[in-house]
Amino acid sequence: MSPGTFRKVLVANRGEIAVRVIRACREMGIRAVAVFSEADRAALHVRLADEALPIGPPPARESYLRIDRVLDAARASGAEAIHPGYGFLSENAAFARACEEAGIAFIGPRSETIALMGEKTSARREAVAAGVPVVPGTLEPIADEGTLAREADRIGYPVMLKAAAGGGGKGLRLVAAPRDLLPALARARSEAKGAFGDDSVYLEKAVLRPRHVEIQVLADRYGSAVHLFERECSIQRRHQKVIEESPSPFLTPELREQMGTLAVALVRRVGYENAGTLEFLVDAERKPYFLEMNTRLQVEHPVTEMVTGVDLVKTQIQIAQGEPLALRQETLAQRGHAIECRVYAEDPEAGFLPSPGRILALRSPGGPGVRDDSGVDEGTEVGVHYDPLVSKLIAWAGTREEAIRRMRRAVAEYRVVGVRTTLPFFARALTHPDFVAGDVDTGFVERMLATGNGRPAVEVAVVAAAIHAFEARRAAHAQPDAARLPAWRAAGLREAHLDRAGGPA
Amino acid sequence: MTFDAVVDGRPFRVEVRGRDGRYTVRLDEAPLDVDVAVTGPHVASVLLRGESHEVGLERRADGYAVSLRGGAVTVDLVEASHGPSPQARRPHGPERLTAPMPGRVVRVLEAPGAEVKAGQALVVIEAMKMENEIRAPRGGRLQAVAVQEGQAVEAGALLAVVG
Repeated sequence: MSPGTFRKVLVANRGEIAVRVIRACREMGIRAVAVFSEADRAALHVRLADEALPIGPPPARESYLRIDRVLDAARASGAEAIHPGYGFLSENAAFARACEEAGIAFIGPRSETIALMGEKTSARREAVAAGVPVVPGTLEPIADEGTLAREADRIGYPVMLKAAAGGGGKGLRLVAAPRDLLPALARARSEAKGAFGDDSVYLEKAVLRPRHVEIQVLADRYGSAVHLFERECSIQRRHQKVIEESPSPFLTPELREQMGTLAVALVRRVGYENAGTLEFLVDAERKPYFLEMNTRLQVEHPVTEMVTGVDLVKTQIQIAQGEPLALRQETLAQRGHAIECRVYAEDPEAGFLPSPGRILALRSPGGPGVRDDSGVDEGTEVGVHYDPLVSKLIAWAGTREEAIRRMRRAVAEYRVVGVRTTLPFFARALTHPDFVAGDVDTGFVERMLATGNGRPAVEVAVVAAAIHAFEARRAAHAQPDAARLPAWRAAGLREAHLDRAGGPA
Repeated sequence: MTFDAVVDGRPFRVEVRGRDGRYTVRLDEAPLDVDVAVTGPHVASVLLRGESHEVGLERRADGYAVSLRGGAVTVDLVEASHGPSPQARRPHGPERLTAPMPGRVVRVLEAPGAEVKAGQALVVIEAMKMENEIRAPRGGRLQAVAVQEGQAVEAGALLAVVG
């Protein structure tokens, strides 16, 4: 082992991404240390880790966002490095700096790079300086309403209001006309304040019917940088991605090459280290505009892993260990096609409202070309404190058409009882002619939902419910004081088994 | 045994006979042979007209939440001899709008007295870091708003009444 090799890594996250990082550590022979809030004592990431330490009460700001507690846990466990996952502290320059000062490797870029590229307006300035095209807009956050209105007039409506510290679609508002500007501003500021503790916003021209395409990059500390092609992330609702794929059906080879070259130029200019993603909008004329850089691992990183064969998390750890990048641009290629569906505990029939609850039954799909990056299992309580992402389902196949068919098959196999999920939404989206044709922009979900929904087999539901009620009545009549006995006593299962399993009370 | 069921306002009369996993079900008079195999405390395999369905069942106060391959269905269910059908139980008067999850009220979009349309957003609740628009269950006059901006609410808390 080289002197820089980590023996123990702390994973400063929860859910599926903590599980993903723990898996990478395990495969590298590194001990994985989990941290957990009181709500996550029994969570999957705790059970899969080698060591686990509590870091506070359920609210994230009292646990997963507490720099001091995460660092205390790292010191207590003797971890040499911290992987922040995505979200939480992953793009927090103060956290990265605190790690640097504590002599613990932060698996990500240096703190000054996070500060530079994480703040959207300075990232845009760097992009312009590197020759990367950006969407017309204000380069600075705007506090004054009068200035904001004048700038919006100058750029031309429709405009987008964006949180300067933002990400994940929070604090983002489309403004179609001048009279909508101030109400939208109030809402954007309120969301930005709530999500990031910083209510400053800036303004951008809205690109109509845009594609959202991003470029994955990897760079080491010796100046070597490569891109790992694009991810198509146009299928969004409320500005959050729900389906991603690679390659993008919309990019030409020339545009792919151009965007990759631009991304590497920007990465080199800022001396970027580790994994990062440059987000672009691509307009109907296939002109790319740089939007922002995510200085961390992305939720949707698996589609890139599936088509390039590169394990991004392991490579992140190797880079943080000080290893030179072993990848060369000319040997990287996209092979086949990968699609990811984000399975959220949300009710697609009720406007995607969160659907917290206990997962009573769960079966993940398997078979050829299917990967399920899940953070839950049967019995997991999907709480209200964190993002309701329960799993990422990824399908790979030789062509896009085969990958779509495989994903439809995998979605149909996925069984979740106890919480509503976005799976029925995917079943519809994956058969939609526009999706199948690759003709998707960021308005796809709204247009698809507006066309009415495909109803599940209501008749089957009624029959199953009635039979269950029938058996429950019969059980109650046979044993009047045991009305709460499990009702599925017919159909060959012994009651002892049902009792032990708890029954559908 | 006969049940009255309602799904999305659509009534069904269901008669069930049989045992040990094999049933004859009359659904609005059409007799169906149904084969049920229990595969877990909340999951059953249902064979109906040769089609294989995997069904998830959760008991609810008024019936069941049933999950199927194509999505989830809420089935209100009551034994036919036991009081009025779920259809009749459904209130025709003012409808209460409740919080579907715990969170914080960040915006109240309409004032009492406003005429609202079905599906119109009335209250915005922030939960799990997302703003969620809570919409009118049906059209009518907004009779009352029970929450204020900034207020924390539990799941099931009354938000508003639409009459």
